[in-house]
Amino acid sequence: MKNEIDINPTQEAQAETPEWLLDLDKVGFVRRLFLARKWYGGDWWFVAISAVFLLFFIIVGIFPQWFAPYDPSAEVGPSLLAPGVAPSSYVLVAPIESGNITVKDIGDKTNNIGFVIGSPASQSLREATDALNDSAPEGVRYQPRQMRYETLEEGLDALAAGEIDGFVASPDELSEVLDKYPTLQIANTLREDASKGFVMGTNQIGQDVFSRIIWGTRIALIVGLSSAMISLVIGVPLGLISGFVGGPLDRVLTLIMDSLYSFPGLILAIAIAAVLGAGIGNIIVSIAVLYIPTYYRIVRGQTLSVKKELYVEAARSLGTSWTKILTKYIFPNVIPSVVIIFSVNVGDAILTEAGLSFLGFGLPPDTPDWGIDLARGQDYVRRAWWLISYPGLMVSIVTLSFSMLGESLSEILNPKLTDR
Amino acid sequence: MTDTKLNPQNENDYLVEVENLKKYFPVQVGFIEQFFSKEKEFVRAVDNVSFKIRRGEVLGLAGESGSGKTTIGRVTIGLEEKTEGKVTFDGIDLSTLNGGELRRLRRRMQVIFQDPMASLNPRMSLGSAIQQGLEIHYPELKEQHRDMVLEVMEKVGLAPALFYYNKFPHQISGGQRQRVVIARALVTKPELVLADEPIAMADVSVRAQLLDLMVQLKNEFNLTFLFITHDLATAKYICDRIGILYLGKIVEISDLREVYAHPMHPYTIALMAAVPVPNPHERRKEPMPKGEIPNPIHPPSGCRFHPRCPYAQEICSAEEPLLRELRPGHQVACHFAEEFQ
Amino acid sequence: MTDNKVLMQIRDLSVEYKTRLGMVSAVDHVSFEIYEGEILGLVGESGCGKSTMGKALMRMIQPPGRISGGQLIFDDEDIMTYDQKQMQAFRGRKVSMIFQDPMTSLNPVQRMDEHLVEAIQVHFPEISKEEALVKASELIERLGIQSNRMSSYPHQLSGGMRQRVMVALGLILNANLIIADEATTSLDVIVEAKLADEFRDIREEFGVTMLVITHNIALVAELSDRLAVMYAGHVVEIGDVYHVFDDPLHPYTKGLLHSVPNIKLDEENELYKMPGEPPNLTHPPSGCRFHPRCPKAMDICSRLEPDLIEVEPGRHVKCWLYEDHPEKTESTPEVAK
Repeated sequence: MKNEIDINPTQEAQAETPEWLLDLDKVGFVRRLFLARKWYGGDWWFVAISAVFLLFFIIVGIFPQWFAPYDPSAEVGPSLLAPGVAPSSYVLVAPIESGNITVKDIGDKTNNIGFVIGSPASQSLREATDALNDSAPEGVRYQPRQMRYETLEEGLDALAAGEIDGFVASPDELSEVLDKYPTLQIANTLREDASKGFVMGTNQIGQDVFSRIIWGTRIALIVGLSSAMISLVIGVPLGLISGFVGGPLDRVLTLIMDSLYSFPGLILAIAIAAVLGAGIGNIIVSIAVLYIPTYYRIVRGQTLSVKKELYVEAARSLGTSWTKILTKYIFPNVIPSVVIIFSVNVGDAILTEAGLSFLGFGLPPDTPDWGIDLARGQDYVRRAWWLISYPGLMVSIVTLSFSMLGESLSEILNPKLTDR
Repeated sequence: MTDTKLNPQNENDYLVEVENLKKYFPVQVGFIEQFFSKEKEFVRAVDNVSFKIRRGEVLGLAGESGSGKTTIGRVTIGLEEKTEGKVTFDGIDLSTLNGGELRRLRRRMQVIFQDPMASLNPRMSLGSAIQQGLEIHYPELKEQHRDMVLEVMEKVGLAPALFYYNKFPHQISGGQRQRVVIARALVTKPELVLADEPIAMADVSVRAQLLDLMVQLKNEFNLTFLFITHDLATAKYICDRIGILYLGKIVEISDLREVYAHPMHPYTIALMAAVPVPNPHERRKEPMPKGEIPNPIHPPSGCRFHPRCPYAQEICSAEEPLLRELRPGHQVACHFAEEFQ
Repeated sequence: MTDNKVLMQIRDLSVEYKTRLGMVSAVDHVSFEIYEGEILGLVGESGCGKSTMGKALMRMIQPPGRISGGQLIFDDEDIMTYDQKQMQAFRGRKVSMIFQDPMTSLNPVQRMDEHLVEAIQVHFPEISKEEALVKASELIERLGIQSNRMSSYPHQLSGGMRQRVMVALGLILNANLIIADEATTSLDVIVEAKLADEFRDIREEFGVTMLVITHNIALVAELSDRLAVMYAGHVVEIGDVYHVFDDPLHPYTKGLLHSVPNIKLDEENELYKMPGEPPNLTHPPSGCRFHPRCPKAMDICSRLEPDLIEVEPGRHVKCWLYEDHPEKTESTPEVAK
């Protein structure tokens, strides 16, 4: 029996390792990311989708000016305009011979522009002249004389007779009667920029909701990411040291952290914000404090359990120093949970910030922020649902994306690829 | 390396000397109970054990659960503090060392653990894991570390070494992981290796490979082994001497062939008979001792085996038998050992 | 043993389960019989499919695994056709199982007597609680546990005792077949030996059939009447335990038996080191699954899978060394006997 046997272990063992497992080392990081799809199935897609979403948000947050059609604090439209509805674009009627003039052409104080008394056309005219004046160079001022008429026909008669230079009315009203005035035509829209429309409507002071949402992303991400980072940088080392060293230090820290943790989040944040005062920096700090205990507890728990693992004891038996054990053995095995908490944390921080702003704490009231918008829109729930729906939707989507990323990331960060 | 305290260069035969070792673990009491119970109770894991290990020999410590074999191993290596007694490594009394000195002494004594998956850091590559010992104890040889690791990997059969160097524990098989553990233990060229049930978790067909590997390495590097096992059949293939433990005490100790051919303690006889033989023609006919292993918190009086021993007499429950040499080099702790020769 | 009645017939059984890396065929078209009153040992290394086989016999394969084919004939009925209700009546009553870790298979908050009484009353609701209790105590005493321990909880009992409770649970319902899946692996040597004695005794006394699944070769040598060797989801050899040990036919069996440590001083002083490692079952080797490690591998072995054929009465081997095939270039020797 012994003569026949060839004792030669591992050469043949390698022939057994399947191709794709070998390939994994040779390929670069990007390819590896795509190969990963084969194993992780559903989780990979979750991570991919939420990562794409969040990347998009981050880009929007960094460059809101690329995406927002209007200045968020400018009152660019009529108030409480429903989403997608074109603002009643008032037009300027003028004699055909004048050509396609605009308000600018007949904006001098020697000109007369007429409108029906009491109609919104007057507001439109005023807004148009204001807009012209805002962008006008020094010394130039547009202030045409305003002539009021009882009815549309009276005004158009006057225009046809040459008594005024232009008349402001809505296209709907004109469509019926303009035929009777062969010498008149619609010269131009009253405002050049009104054609852009308001995708998500406007709020009560005429600001474009969509632009506010876009600019709100920046605030949300800044606050969310910064506060999460601060919590992490403080909570993780404390948890590591506490779990590792134990003893009285551990007890004291745990007591403090547990007390903080047991506070209902928003209340604590309000308390801290109230003490610190207004301002974006203070908001970040108060939200950060809120999450430090979470990082601390999880990291401490993980440290305690990893400390008991056999490979830590093996490291000890090698003669490894305690600092090295902490950095090379415990910390790398604790990181996966930290990453997960972080991603969920950011989402939650954004939610908390929205809540704080909603309640009126922290941010200056004119800041384009989802929470502030939610607060201002409260009273208009029935009349103008878009004031709170869109900010609310944004908060939910961003928070959800972060959570989704965090949860599905836990599968991927688990080192056990194969089941052996 | 220039530390003479840690490298006395003694000429004595014995690398390890353990004298009257005791290790008691206090029993955990609940918060309320500690006000009611009178005295503290202890698990007497190791209760007055003495032995010596010669340079280059493989001493086996065999026993069932509660025998204290693993605890003895851990105390001998310094992973656990003793309660009483003296442990000497190369003439150095371990209790005279402070934390830093003990850590540096580790270079000369290493461990092979039972569970290879659990004893490897899942986030450290195999090459890196093996290299740890070198980084700690030979930092001055930094440039040569990688080559030294590759060399030892080839030696334990992880070939080609470059292929395995960057792999992680979950990417290789159980048998290969145990080879990594062995490589990690040997890279610092230790003198003493504590092997705690090193092949118990490997596949049957791989165990022979690993045993053979350990014997080869022992011969090549002139290693001394303290081999902890519950499997007397396996011990036969690697141990030079063997000690049988029961409930924290050595009941019999001698050369392996001597103990296996002439077991004298009733427990040893029963234990050896209990081990199944892979040969249906040699099925066990002997009956097994009654009862079960008692609670180590309250061990029986006198000879700890007396409640189960078919030959127990009155003296057995009254007086604890001491180890006495009945045949050359063969010690037994039993009042009536002569009758079982 | 071979002229006994067949208790359970396994025909072409296949079990597969889904992993991230693909389908694993844990048991691949396996057929064999279990005879009444015998102790059949099923040995193999980790991953060979023996535990899966044990579970499959009771149809206890959970997703992501499933029995993908084959028949399990018990008492002339194919239990694969049983519905939920029939299976519930089958399990415990006809076939019962003893697991490796009794701590997790016994309800930690249920006392021993409650366990046993409940088992009886589920299958025999007409028996009163008192009667059941009496029956249970008798059985426990018979198995070596004092009846005053009946009211203990699992954590108050030792490992060996817990396993005996599991045995009692099987016996109390007069199961025809008891499957012991690594039942002694976590026990101390002496306790294991006593439990093995117990298995033999209950077979004598109750006529119970046992399937002992283990990786401990020595244990099956001690205990079983017949031996089945599994490798990578296949049964590669099966036969009377004496015959298989005296003259192992399959190269894997040969290698395995010679790699097992033997405590006897004058026996087996050098162990055979089998090359390689057990294969990954997502990509099993082609043809005969053992061929990469086989010292006797031929050309045909890597291309075609051999059948499990009967080379002599009661002895089956799955190996090209003993089977003829038109493509085979080497000659097939007769099995000596």
